Amino acid sequence: MASTDLAALERRARRGYELARVRQALLGVAPLLFIVPLAACMTHRPGATVALGVGAFALGAILLWYGRDPQKAVLPGVAAGLVPLTMALCANHMHYCGPDGCTSLCVPACTVGGVLAGLVVAWVGQKRRAGPWYWLSAGALALLTGAMGCSCIGYGGIVGLGVGFGVGLVPILLSRRRPEPPNPA
Amino acid sequence: MQESPLDALMARLQSGDREAFAGVFELLWPPVQRLCRSLVQNEADAADAAQEALVKILQRASDYDRTRPALPWALAIAGWECRTLLRKRTRRREVDVAIDERGGQHPEEAFAQQDLARAALEALGQLSETDRETLVATFWDEATSASGPTLRKRRERALDRLRKAWKKVYGLD
Repeated sequence: MASTDLAALERRARRGYELARVRQALLGVAPLLFIVPLAACMTHRPGATVALGVGAFALGAILLWYGRDPQKAVLPGVAAGLVPLTMALCANHMHYCGPDGCTSLCVPACTVGGVLAGLVVAWVGQKRRAGPWYWLSAGALALLTGAMGCSCIGYGGIVGLGVGFGVGLVPILLSRRRPEPPNPA
Repeated sequence: MQESPLDALMARLQSGDREAFAGVFELLWPPVQRLCRSLVQNEADAADAAQEALVKILQRASDYDRTRPALPWALAIAGWECRTLLRKRTRRREVDVAIDERGGQHPEEAFAQQDLARAALEALGQLSETDRETLVATFWDEATSASGPTLRKRRERALDRLRKAWKKVYGLD
């Protein structure tokens, strides 16, 4: 057994490890392959939805393959993004009619969905005491997933989603920074 | 239970920390090698099995359950690999023995031979009783009612008819 080329074996094992991680990462983001076409069928701008969906798929796969802190952001990020996505897709088929005419409910739905997504991401991050990589990765994934539905009336919906997401993060980020009360003893 | 250095490194590798890879490799190679040597008696086979096992363990590193000790988990995979290799080797040996029993003939060759014999018998079945008797006597050295020039003439005619029958059945010479 002394003749075993350990360097070659280590390279082979490393290749196997990376390939297995790639396979697992692709399996991990596979549900997006069902969500993206479904969203594209329900939205008025399927091209933008597919482009954002491909972005979400690629980012999710890269984060899962990379591992460590960013991989923990994939599930909460996508789950949080599903909230504004669902709300925006429903709002696509609704509108509010007032005395001045009718307006789409897309932007309000995306803003409210963004607030909820921000709250979900912040709540999970707070619970896990997650580092900055979690906040960045989960935020990016939630925004990409939500934006698939929020491109309904141009960039207005996406801006609404972003503003809402930021607002959703604020309460928990503020509570994290609050100093500990002094111990009376 | 205290966490061993291998457990800690394996947990890091499971979460995607590539810096732990070399450490896991170095710590796992000796016990995997020892296990394969003890399970597979042949030195070359043991080396093959140990290498395959280590590759498999590291391929499955992302599935490692960090609440459990790493070494038994890794050795279970290595043991499975060794047993798989042993099963393969045993099966191959059985096939080799079967080939030896057939006089070293490869299964494909034996199959082709059987096919050819079946085809020859079918063409032979198209001939008359006398022709069949003559050809059997010619190729299996059996006694026949004729001898000398008569036998030679009959053989010539029987072979000619066999050739025609073969051509009629299979369309080739």
